[in-house]
Amino acid sequence: MSSPLTSPATTNGEEPLYKKQKKNPSQIPSLPDELLVSCLARVSRLHYATLSLVSKSFRSLIASPELYKTRSLFGRTESCLYVCLRFHPERNQRWFTLSLKPNNRTVANNNKSSCNLLVPIPTSHNPHMLVSILDCQTHTWHEAPSMQVKQYYPHANVVDGKIYVAGSCVKPKSSNWMEVFDPKTQTWELVLATLGKRFTHCINKSAVIEGAIYMFVDDIGVVYKPREGKWAEIRSLEDLQYLGFCYCVIGNVLYCYYWRNGIIWYDFKIRKWMNMKGLEGLPQFPNYGCVVRLVEYGGKMVILWNKYGSGCNNNKMIWCAVISLERRNSKEIWGKVEWVDAVLTVPVSCETVCALSATV
Amino acid sequence: MSSNKIVLTSSDGESFEVEEVVARKLQIVGHMLEDDCVINEIPLQNVTGDILSMVIEYCKTHVDEEESEEAQTKLKTWDEEFMKKFDIKTLLQIILAANYLNVKGLLDLVSQTIADTIKDYTPEQIREVFGVENDYTEEEEAEVRKENAWAFDEADTPKP
Repeated sequence: MSSPLTSPATTNGEEPLYKKQKKNPSQIPSLPDELLVSCLARVSRLHYATLSLVSKSFRSLIASPELYKTRSLFGRTESCLYVCLRFHPERNQRWFTLSLKPNNRTVANNNKSSCNLLVPIPTSHNPHMLVSILDCQTHTWHEAPSMQVKQYYPHANVVDGKIYVAGSCVKPKSSNWMEVFDPKTQTWELVLATLGKRFTHCINKSAVIEGAIYMFVDDIGVVYKPREGKWAEIRSLEDLQYLGFCYCVIGNVLYCYYWRNGIIWYDFKIRKWMNMKGLEGLPQFPNYGCVVRLVEYGGKMVILWNKYGSGCNNNKMIWCAVISLERRNSKEIWGKVEWVDAVLTVPVSCETVCALSATV
Repeated sequence: MSSNKIVLTSSDGESFEVEEVVARKLQIVGHMLEDDCVINEIPLQNVTGDILSMVIEYCKTHVDEEESEEAQTKLKTWDEEFMKKFDIKTLLQIILAANYLNVKGLLDLVSQTIADTIKDYTPEQIREVFGVENDYTEEEEAEVRKENAWAFDEADTPKP
């Protein structure tokens, strides 16, 4: 049911309107900021560096809270992977983020292999023991308020937007073992850890599952539930001792890489490890110590591993795979390899300190 | 639905007679009709005839949006083809018109098309299209490049 237009311009067919447009290049109207933001929010962050070179006003729009609010409103947030490496004998750690090779930006959405790489971002030069915050929107570091108690080898876990940090301090007591940072108020508070004095050693591993922080200190496992303020010992500890460095939690499921089984996940209900299915296209890892990290990446999984050069080559390649996950039923989780790529060449002595992701 | 006709007149005096259901897709018109239901000619001062005719073409196509997946796919294909007709300058005029006339679907569609078009532009091309002056001094521009060096440089093998 359409009625014909009365305009003569549309009745003569063959797109005369658009030609007329070109012949008459009238002054281009400038867009109000609101409309510019609506467009820029739909562009991948990978292009923002180039866009900030346009003008000062473009640059401030791109860094504006409105833009990130709009991205969030449109469901256009993107996950960014960050990897922290230490190049011995340097004392400072260096930070990298996953990006696309400049020449390949046009295939950004295709996620093809051989166009991904880790690129350096500024590194915090804060002295040791201070807390630094990386603003993932601008890749700038800020100094955060200091913790009240010095913690060695701290582990940080996030529950309900607050960061719970525990580690090992000189004289562990229930009152000084854990602190919580609230990013909104930028303040630290001590958390009463009723089991704290038992922890004379550092935390080896920690993870958050369904709002509970699981922490392992040697052969003791404890769980803290911040919402209820409750502490408890973990009973099924034996099962969880498989966890090496290579584990992560995605959608409240604990995943880990175990050299005998590959990628496995833990079913807390039946207290059993299960093998992940699928994973077609994931290469065989050359040796059992080469997988360095599993990372939660916007609901997907990132696997990072090292591949050593042959012969007298003193370098190694850091490889990366992104895997999407599908839970088919209570007993099956399938992994689909989205891409696999060598993302950075580093000296053999380079150590992976940590890898994590942020969604902005 | 009655096939009541409404005449929309552009800033340059072009008139378009459309069905009321189509005209109501322009929320600015919808609001006018609610305020006074006897209007049948509406002047639209901030949009020229050539741009208005494209907005109307979009609204006619989207007049009865069916829920079915098939209909949705068909509309999506139509949207893509429709957007392919325009150069970036026309797209900018359409986004302004869609904003003024308050046609949400078209606003989203054209915003996305502009985003897809400009993402691979050089800063110079973007300045030209948006009529923006490069107001950086050489030093300032170098500073911005330095801040975003991670995005411009290929990562070299870090020297140990």
